[in-house]
Amino acid sequence: MKRVLLIVVIVAMAFVFSANASAANPVKIGVLVPLTGIVAQGGLEMKYGIEMAAKEKGTILGRPIELVVEDTQIKPDVAVSKAEKLVFKDNCVSLIGVFSSGVGLAIAKNIDRLKVPFLTTHVMTTAFYGIHKWVFRSGQLANDQTAVGNIKGILARPDLKDRTYYVIVHDYAWGHDAGKRFIELAKQSGIKIYNENFDKAPTSTKDWSSYISKIKASGADGIYIAFITNVIPVFAKQASDFGLQKTSKIVSAAAPGPVELEEGGEACYGIFGASDWSWDVNTPVSDAWEKKFWETYKTIPSDAAVHSYVGAMNLFNGIEKAGSTNPDKIADALRGISFDGPYGTVRISAFDNCMRNDAVLTETMAAPPNQFGAKVVMKVLHTFKAEELGPPEK
Amino acid sequence: MSTAVDILFNSLVLGGVFLIVAIGLNIIYGLSRVMNLAHGSLYAVGAYASVTLMSFGANFFVALVIAPFIVAFIGLVLERTIIAPVRKRSIVYTLILTYGLMFLLDGLIRYIWGNEPRFVKLPLFLQDTLPILGTHYPVYRLATLVIIAATMVALMLFLEKTKTGITLRAASTIPEMVSCLGINMKLVHIGAFVLGCGMAGIAGVVAGPLYSVDPTMGHEMLISSFVVIVIGGLGSLRGAVFAALLIGLVQTLAEFFVTDLAMVIVYMLMAIILAFMPRGLLGEGRFE
Repeated sequence: MKRVLLIVVIVAMAFVFSANASAANPVKIGVLVPLTGIVAQGGLEMKYGIEMAAKEKGTILGRPIELVVEDTQIKPDVAVSKAEKLVFKDNCVSLIGVFSSGVGLAIAKNIDRLKVPFLTTHVMTTAFYGIHKWVFRSGQLANDQTAVGNIKGILARPDLKDRTYYVIVHDYAWGHDAGKRFIELAKQSGIKIYNENFDKAPTSTKDWSSYISKIKASGADGIYIAFITNVIPVFAKQASDFGLQKTSKIVSAAAPGPVELEEGGEACYGIFGASDWSWDVNTPVSDAWEKKFWETYKTIPSDAAVHSYVGAMNLFNGIEKAGSTNPDKIADALRGISFDGPYGTVRISAFDNCMRNDAVLTETMAAPPNQFGAKVVMKVLHTFKAEELGPPEK
Repeated sequence: MSTAVDILFNSLVLGGVFLIVAIGLNIIYGLSRVMNLAHGSLYAVGAYASVTLMSFGANFFVALVIAPFIVAFIGLVLERTIIAPVRKRSIVYTLILTYGLMFLLDGLIRYIWGNEPRFVKLPLFLQDTLPILGTHYPVYRLATLVIIAATMVALMLFLEKTKTGITLRAASTIPEMVSCLGINMKLVHIGAFVLGCGMAGIAGVVAGPLYSVDPTMGHEMLISSFVVIVIGGLGSLRGAVFAALLIGLVQTLAEFFVTDLAMVIVYMLMAIILAFMPRGLLGEGRFE
């Protein structure tokens, strides 16, 4: 009898200890964001969004979430070695984040070796559609979706429609893709393009005066830019110094960062562009999220933060749904999953692993009184339904 | 015509900023034999110092005077604490030290001022454009040319006409003789380093309103100023003037006409000059 009792006690204790060990054993998620270099502010906002989602979600599979954050320095080689560290050393079960298309493509190329699902919240290149069974996008609109939104926006507005557009992009994978997508659609829609062989400026460009003089000399009265978000206000400010905005309208392939817009002030008024979200979106969910973000981080909520939050929620819910940290099971669970967040339902397509969601066309202008004390707002002009932006799922 | 005027002014402004940064780098190398890889970061510190001064209510011109002194003072502290102890060793020591210093200063900039770009608020009269030879050119860019010209004139007068300046020049060519004359070479080295840092500070303040102020602004500028001093001849002040104007013009023209290859052309020019004129455009460069 004593022996039986002893065995029961040992089994019970083993069960209790293993349960405790499981509860204490966190689900590790590798967060890859740029925290140094030209887009450090955007990277910080992405990190905030993912942190906020982790705090809100609390646990996955009954275990706490542990975010392991690494700085990609927006360099593909650095990002790949950081991803290796996150997976092989830290035992992260999934990777999330990544700001640039070049970095995203580098991680995607190595995913068979890394053997974990990777969900990007920021990469916009169209090359990500169906790129790999373990690679997903739930974040910023892709280049084709942004181009559709911008073309529809241009056609809908008389002050944008009858202009000739000068196209200038940042010289890397995303910029090239964004420029091409816009020009293809513009030509189909009858919008005039000045330079089909568009300009490609190095990402390190600080002095835009030569490009601005070139735009002035072209006589184009519309400018389509595909610049890293933080650089948009820098270009707008220099264009304003030359008086370019008096004759030309700027349409952007990416949403400018709100912190940088504040710095640029009036020089940044009049930038149009399609994006997922702006703090001008007035729905109860969006308003509540903005309030919580502001109270936590004292930073104006940005679209970089909000789509990182939404992407993280989709990933966390996907792992929960998978009931396991097996990469194939997580990937299966992510296909078709959706999350209702600040910009409506964001669904990851089971067809190509990339999200579909509603979006907005915005114009930057003087902000009305607001809780953030912001002077510039990306005013919502129009809301696009997900089906309008595509791409088709067949 | 208006486009040609734009290109001319753009190249002068770009070349002018390169010149002030490169002259500072050249003074430090020529007089104290230190290749200062933290020079770009000191240029950024100058820009941030002006932003901070202006946030406390100083106007741009006050910031233009005070910020370079702040950078010069930082230069003095760095020289005494980090550079001086290894001055007698190989130049590689100071090269590595200043490389580390660059990362330290960049980290401090991020810690103090954050990651986002800052824009310098100029007085209203500098925010306008001026009709000139068929184009409307920003007033501040024209003012920049005046500031750069005034800085260069002041520097040349200091080096040519004052006893201290003459001593500094002599020390750059015949340091042993100057030392034998009883002149304290330690003070010469300190003076050169502080003066060079001050020049980086001036360039930072001037460049802030032209571009924007951000933590990475010094990196590209350091590379460009190295291109200038290589083309002008290491240690040659006159060579740096010609090289800065040349690079400003070539880069502006290349960005305008062959946009995608602009920087390739600049670096090819440097490689050609390095191959065929290793002592720079005027043949005044000193190599060790």
